[in-house]
Amino acid sequence: MLLIPCPHCGDRAQAEFAYERTADSVVPLDAAPDQAVAALFTRTNPRGIDEEIWRHTYGCGSWMLIRRDRVSHAIEWVKPIGPAVLP
Amino acid sequence: MIRFTFDGRALTAKPGQTLAAALLDHGIKLVGRSFKYHRPRGILSAGVEEPNALVTVGTGGRAEPNTRATDLYVYDGMVATSQNRWPSLSSDLGSALQLVAKALPAGFYYKTFFGPPKLWLFYEKFIRRAAGLGPAPVEADPDRYAQRAAFCDVLVVGAGPAGLIAARDAARAGKRVILVEQDAELAPSLLRDPQEIEGQPGSVWAASVAAELRAKGGRVLTRTSASGLWDDNFICLSEKLVEPGQVPQGAFTQRYWHVRADEVVLATGTLERPLTFANNDRPGVMLSQAVRTYVSRFGVVPGQRVVVATSNDDAYLTATALRQAGAEVVAVLDSRPSPAGQDSGFAVLNCAAPVSAAGGKRGVTGVTALIDGAERSFACDLIAMSGGFTPVVHLHMQAGGKLDWDDAAQAFVPGATRQNVRTVGSAAAPAPAETFGALGPAKQAFVDFQNDVTVADLDLAWREGYRSVEHLKRYTTLGMATDQGKTSNMAALDRIARREGMEVPQAGLTTFRPPYTPVSMGALVGLATGEHAQPTRRPALYDLHAAKHPIWLNAGYWKRPRAYPVGSETLAEAGLREARSVRQAVGLCDVSTLAKFEVQGPDAVQFLERVCQTTVGKLAVGRGRYTFMAREDGLVFDDGTVWRLEDNRYLLTSSTGGASRMATWLSYVRNYLCADLKVSVVCVQEHYAAIAVAGPQSSAVMAELTGAEAPRHMSVSETGIAGVPVLLMAASFSGERAFEVHFDARHAEAVWRAIEDKVLQAGGAPYGIEAMELLRIEKGHLVVGPDIDGRLTADELGLGKMVNKAGGWIGAATLHRPDFADSMRKQLVGIEAVNGGSIPEGAMLVRRVGEQAEGHVTASGLRIMEGGSIALAHLMGGHMRHGEELYAHSPTRKQTVKVRVGSPHFYDPSGERYRD
Amino acid sequence: MTDVVVERLGFAPLQLLDLWGDPGGVQQVLGHALPPVGRAEGGVLRTGPTSWLIEGEVSALKAAISGDGAIAAVGGGLLRVRLSGPNWRSLLMEGGLFDFESPAFTTDCVVITVIDHVSVTLRVEGPDSCLAYVPASHAADLLHFWQISAGGLPQ
Repeated sequence: MLLIPCPHCGDRAQAEFAYERTADSVVPLDAAPDQAVAALFTRTNPRGIDEEIWRHTYGCGSWMLIRRDRVSHAIEWVKPIGPAVLP
Repeated sequence: MIRFTFDGRALTAKPGQTLAAALLDHGIKLVGRSFKYHRPRGILSAGVEEPNALVTVGTGGRAEPNTRATDLYVYDGMVATSQNRWPSLSSDLGSALQLVAKALPAGFYYKTFFGPPKLWLFYEKFIRRAAGLGPAPVEADPDRYAQRAAFCDVLVVGAGPAGLIAARDAARAGKRVILVEQDAELAPSLLRDPQEIEGQPGSVWAASVAAELRAKGGRVLTRTSASGLWDDNFICLSEKLVEPGQVPQGAFTQRYWHVRADEVVLATGTLERPLTFANNDRPGVMLSQAVRTYVSRFGVVPGQRVVVATSNDDAYLTATALRQAGAEVVAVLDSRPSPAGQDSGFAVLNCAAPVSAAGGKRGVTGVTALIDGAERSFACDLIAMSGGFTPVVHLHMQAGGKLDWDDAAQAFVPGATRQNVRTVGSAAAPAPAETFGALGPAKQAFVDFQNDVTVADLDLAWREGYRSVEHLKRYTTLGMATDQGKTSNMAALDRIARREGMEVPQAGLTTFRPPYTPVSMGALVGLATGEHAQPTRRPALYDLHAAKHPIWLNAGYWKRPRAYPVGSETLAEAGLREARSVRQAVGLCDVSTLAKFEVQGPDAVQFLERVCQTTVGKLAVGRGRYTFMAREDGLVFDDGTVWRLEDNRYLLTSSTGGASRMATWLSYVRNYLCADLKVSVVCVQEHYAAIAVAGPQSSAVMAELTGAEAPRHMSVSETGIAGVPVLLMAASFSGERAFEVHFDARHAEAVWRAIEDKVLQAGGAPYGIEAMELLRIEKGHLVVGPDIDGRLTADELGLGKMVNKAGGWIGAATLHRPDFADSMRKQLVGIEAVNGGSIPEGAMLVRRVGEQAEGHVTASGLRIMEGGSIALAHLMGGHMRHGEELYAHSPTRKQTVKVRVGSPHFYDPSGERYRD
Repeated sequence: MTDVVVERLGFAPLQLLDLWGDPGGVQQVLGHALPPVGRAEGGVLRTGPTSWLIEGEVSALKAAISGDGAIAAVGGGLLRVRLSGPNWRSLLMEGGLFDFESPAFTTDCVVITVIDHVSVTLRVEGPDSCLAYVPASHAADLLHFWQISAGGLPQ
């Protein structure tokens, strides 16, 4: 079970998190039809480093972007997603 | 004295003895029959690596099969039984199989698969009866297993001297330490080889270190196996609080630990390797260190005339211990040339190794050795063998660690690691030893004792082309038994390397996978057994419903009343009665499990118009509407209602089953796609209890309860019932004039009772999910799951007219995919049985039985007042096929019903009954 | 022999404050600033990057945050349970994932984590007690789990 550094809560067990999707499969609100179809159905699936969207669902509920190696499972960085946050 | 039984025979054991030690103490050498050939087997080892001496321990639901007699401490009243023999251990009919052993060579299973399937079915019966280990108990396990988390700076696996010192160093540096030991005693190697450490007898020293660790806040767990080491130093520990089969003294029988450690120190020691020679599996052929353990730790001398066979120095300690215990060391066969062992004082023969053991189920009677090329036989009743030492690198490898080759020890040792894991003690630096391959007839020379894999099997697999170690393992089943090849891997690699003419490290090694030793299923399950096997969610009104003894429905994790039968009513009868009372008078139903979200803020409308496929912006305060939501691929995945409570405050409801998916989806849209909006989305599913009140009398009931005129259809008012503030929403899921009352769940019972009183007075009744289904199917309302299954667009569901033409909702872009223009995609229709009969739910829709399915039945109901089977269905091109006749065919229920396709709205299609 | 008491406190009026902006006047209303992630102050617990759980009266607060956030009632869905006695930390390690035994997890620390598959919000009240906010629908299961577990904690 991975230890995932939540940008808000610090290191937490993977079981508190839910994986959402890879960052390249996001369909922006203003996506053109071709762009939306491409994001949904013709994604890359690289071996090794990829960027993924996770949520600390059973913790603070926040979203984050995680860049990690899908072979070694090593996490390179984690960035918060969402509105501006008070300290 | 501890009393126990083995195969019904009453025996005694000394405190601290393992079952293996106690059996040897009683001169019992034959302990089990082998997996495939039913060969007589005794005790090979004194630890967790034991491949032979497996027993079933305990009785009833507490029985634990395949327990290693070497890893089982005798307790008073223990019942142990040998396995894989019939009618008894000593006269086992299956052992006739030894004669047909040739019929079960390596790859036997695979070869039978190539033949006709019937042949395999024939073999299977025969194999299942003949081969095997102990049977799993059929009764439920009466005991409880705990699961617990722990965190530490340093976790040390193995409480030998190296582990104890590593743990003490860490504790003295102020670190949180956990030390685990699979044995019942600390530093078991010091019980085998007593020595002074830091001026104290070994075991006294070990106890003092443990005491120091505990005093510094550390945790010392004995009888605990580190079964798996995972990402980021997550370790699973399996702790036996009592022995297998034993009645627990406290609340739990075992505790399964989930530990997260900054650093893991592996002081896991080594396993001794057997030598490979003919009949090396006979009772009385034992590992040298094991013999020494029985002599020095357990006070049991397993033989009186002993031949020691070794490739290293360690076995001389065994010879010494045996001599001190009064046994005769007939000879020491040392594979190394002189002068190895020559100063030991024993009758040492150099360049010597065993070729074949003599003897049968009563134990070995002698050994033939090859000494400098010449054969010589010795009479003996025990062969103590040592083929060198294999570091226990399992956890190191599980954590992604690499292995290096130690040529002097002829063993893999831990190499580079990816995680903060290091190995100390003999596991990192095993004692030197040499290897010399297998001797004697290959068909009797066993490599994997537990899976009955011989040198001949390895050779056959090699000849048939299975040369990669991974292939060879699967073909021969080598190392795939419950011991995972702890004593066999290196001998097998040695054999392959010799055949291939390469060095062992080039031959490679299979991956070690968790668990290191078998873990009880109960430990993995914890307290999640029986009714707690999955979470149960109880709505706020659960106790009130329970008092009515309803028929429950498990809706996801929720417990919901399906019907409230009166007298001897069946589910169907109760459901129909409840539905009719809604059609004719009024009913009330607990709908608290609906998903509910408060959406607030100046940008709330913008947010909702993203999420909902219908317009929201046009809603006036106090009004609501039906709505549905699409995914980014344009397909509808959920539906519900949206209500404007204040200028910038909305309540959105959606399906019970999709609640957590919807919560995640709204959060994703808000935080990822619309981070700049001034909006707050809060899940209030559990805060609001909700009661549906439906039927022609519902307006009157609500007016009476609130003292005000009930709101008109799709309006909401804030009012009070029984002194509790409520949101009174006029919305219908039944086809009748109806209301949903939402309110703080703390007051659920008071509000329910107030409404129920009036409903009963009006001639109505509470209704459950069964009636709700009948009502909504007849009206053609959809539910998320069967009808809204995430595969149809709004148009295909017949909701096209409600779609917000201005777009802007998620999924709008993708909806222009050309695939969606295909008019033969499935569409929602109603179907009605034309010649009677009941339409089976899930049935396929076909033109003729045997033809390709063109659709399926999603929900089956009936005309509530008139009778007659009706259903909702997805049908290819269904909107254009109204009037067509098809068959609803269910091969699994063996039912076929002729149906006519039509509108899904069977009841009051114009919606007149909604309005007062 | 259980050194932990599991006490069902029942429900209370609880509000969830969710902010999309930075309101100025909160300090005057509360008498203290909104606590940071992982902390509680007075009747206010931080539960997420933009959210706080508030026990008590909020009408003044509602006015103060107007335009920058919203408040929604959530108290009907959260059962409050007090775990007290010297072993409350040990009990929480059963079926858990979070390091409740960490010396850094002290008074007024807040954590939301999973215990026996249930998402629970916990606030340390002091050395000998901790307050748990349990989703009401899961409460019967979790209380049963705590009762069984409390009977067999390790030494």
